[in-house]
Amino acid sequence: MPNLTLGDMAQNLILSRQGTSLKSALQTLSFEMTTGLTANNTARIRGDYAPLAGIEASLTQLAAYRSVTTETAMLSSVMQTALNGISDHATTLGAQLLAGASGNSPTRIDTLGVDANQRLHSVMTALNTRLGERSLFAGVATDHAATAGTETMMTALDSAVAGAVSSADVETAVNAWFADPNGFAATVYQGGAALSAVPVGPDETARIDVTALDPAIVDTLKGLAMAALLQRGVLAGSNVARADLAKRAGESLASSSTARAQLTARLGTTEAGIANAAVRNDSEKSALETARLGLLSVDPYETATKLQQTQTQLETLYTITARLSRLNLVDFL
Amino acid sequence: MSIGGTLASALSGLTATSRAAELVSSNIANATTPGYGRRELITTSRVVGHTGQGVQVLGVSRASNLPLLGDRRLAQSAAGDADTRAAFYRRLETTLGTPDQAFSINGRVAAFDSALTEAISHPESEPRLTSVLTTARALASQLTAASKDVQAARTAANSEIANQVTALNSALDKANKLNVQIRKFSGLGQDTSALVDQRQQVIDSIAKIIPIREIQQNDGAISLYSPTGAVLLDNAPAVFGFAATTAISPGMVNGGALSGLTLNGSPIETSGDSSMITGGALAANFAIRDDLGVKAQAQLDAVARDLVERFQASGVDASRAPGDPGLFTDIGASLDPLNEVGLSQRLRINAAVDPDKGGALWRLRDGLGAATPGAAGNSALLTTLRTALTAQRDPASGGFMAGQRSLSSLAGDLLSSAAASRLTAEGDAAYTKTKLDTFTAMEAENGVDTDQEMQSLLQIEQAYAANAKVIKAVDQMIQTLLEI
Repeated sequence: MPNLTLGDMAQNLILSRQGTSLKSALQTLSFEMTTGLTANNTARIRGDYAPLAGIEASLTQLAAYRSVTTETAMLSSVMQTALNGISDHATTLGAQLLAGASGNSPTRIDTLGVDANQRLHSVMTALNTRLGERSLFAGVATDHAATAGTETMMTALDSAVAGAVSSADVETAVNAWFADPNGFAATVYQGGAALSAVPVGPDETARIDVTALDPAIVDTLKGLAMAALLQRGVLAGSNVARADLAKRAGESLASSSTARAQLTARLGTTEAGIANAAVRNDSEKSALETARLGLLSVDPYETATKLQQTQTQLETLYTITARLSRLNLVDFL
Repeated sequence: MSIGGTLASALSGLTATSRAAELVSSNIANATTPGYGRRELITTSRVVGHTGQGVQVLGVSRASNLPLLGDRRLAQSAAGDADTRAAFYRRLETTLGTPDQAFSINGRVAAFDSALTEAISHPESEPRLTSVLTTARALASQLTAASKDVQAARTAANSEIANQVTALNSALDKANKLNVQIRKFSGLGQDTSALVDQRQQVIDSIAKIIPIREIQQNDGAISLYSPTGAVLLDNAPAVFGFAATTAISPGMVNGGALSGLTLNGSPIETSGDSSMITGGALAANFAIRDDLGVKAQAQLDAVARDLVERFQASGVDASRAPGDPGLFTDIGASLDPLNEVGLSQRLRINAAVDPDKGGALWRLRDGLGAATPGAAGNSALLTTLRTALTAQRDPASGGFMAGQRSLSSLAGDLLSSAAASRLTAEGDAAYTKTKLDTFTAMEAENGVDTDQEMQSLLQIEQAYAANAKVIKAVDQMIQTLLEI
């Protein structure tokens, strides 16, 4: 009679196996319920980690871009402030020079010379601006100040214009000194080539290429220096020539104003590009996070329902186990 | 029929019921013993002369279902095989790490990329360059750690093989000794059920390691064969041979520095359909040692090689002489394509950029061959390094599908290949487990049913009382005769 019995162990095995599977299901479901994410990533994405790896890599990269855009935006905004200051000095002094030159008053010209010197000094200081330890207008030589200072420049200019007898001579000498590779670029400018582009977003770069050697800045310095020479005794004795030099300096500053505006606009465009990149990065970050959730999240309603169901099943199993273990012939004999 | 005959019959009934009660008690005592076969008393009517007189105990039968037992054992081997493989892939996947974990290879690549991006924005910053160095080092050491883990899995599989071979040999020997005893006792007409129980347990332990078929012989002994027909036990036990190795490094393979398996002194195949051990935990361990682990190592080495080649390519760093090692080196040397095996364990950062090894951080910015620091804000080389890391290129080795990809997606492919294999292996494991559970449950159904045993006990009690009653009646009859 082999089939008329049912071994005790059979029932035991089935009950314990069901108990184990229900308990492990309960554990998985409670994990998913609390985290909102699937407990088994690999099974959910069917072993293909390529999309998830791409998303995670992009998210890490975006975090890096975020710090780069913040940093670069700060850099360009500080440079923009410095440029605006330089521009203000140049415009104000230019107007004063043109107005003051017409009077031929020696006192007036002297005052203009003093003023020009002060403003030149402010401009040179602005060019040596640092953000943290980083020199802004020195290009790649970020550890050096962009210029060697007002005194160095003016001393060099003093010797360049020595012997000039007319305001035209002075202007030519000043222009020549600034254009000469051994002049301004070698003796005053201490920086290097312009900075390379930095990545600010996926396949997107921003380049802050403004240095103290930029033509707009050099042209501005020319006008300021010419006016500043007035205080250093150039063309001494000839009021007319000094007034004419002031006029020429004023004209030079006025004519370079377009270049300054263009420089500010160029930097502004870069700034806008960086800001746009930052916004794009942020929206890409949210999109990627949503995509990651889509890959890994579980439906909370479904999970809660399953959790409830599993709990009921487990309770039922306990009841059945208790009942079945009481169903024993021994207890009735 | 005589009164004496009646008394003898009743006595035989008492003996038989006592034996039956003994078996019931043994069955109940062993109700939860694995491998215990339910005992039943076999009786027949005793013949004296030509007439029946009482009951005769023929022996004890041990309930067993050989085909079911065989199926269960094969399922047990298959489950051992699938579980071992699944465990290997689970371990591999954990070692590589999923992309959401910072320590994963993908996470390390992403961190390195981020560090480069931030350094490009601020090349004069020492912390930024340090971060490039540390993330590069972390990436290299993660590949090394993964490779070491693969080799540890191979080493563990190897020592597991040694243990299993020892267990196999001792189990075969034990089964043979039990065979001899069973043959002897069954020749003497004694109950051998307990020995058969023991033998079944011993053979079950073999079935966990390799697949076997059991053939019952007439004298109670059994022979064991592999599914491919090799004799494992027939009068004498077969002897497996294996030489253990303590530690395994990437270059060690079967037939080289690693031992194969021998049966009675002659080498046998350890993989493939014609191998006698295919389909058991032993074969799975050989597979991990000789195939799965070697492939995983080759893929890790391919990723390491891709990493080295990206930074060693000409045009990445002009300050470096052509052929000189790049940022990632093979213990300081440049890549030797003929010596790729184990590269992931030899991956080191070029000492020229490592301040701890006499290098200088600024070489990350100014070039590995630069003699003096260049402009502090120069980010050109860092940009080239980052381009080299993210560029799309074909992996040169590793058996990856052809196609250009960045290092990050190559690492993703490495992980995906482990993860997909894990899913398949776990699917197999779940299937074999279900099969094993089903067979085990079916076997358990044929086991001891205490209800039924109690029922028989009631019958036995009744029969015993009845036989005793008969003896009492005979006694009264004899008394009546004596009183005459």
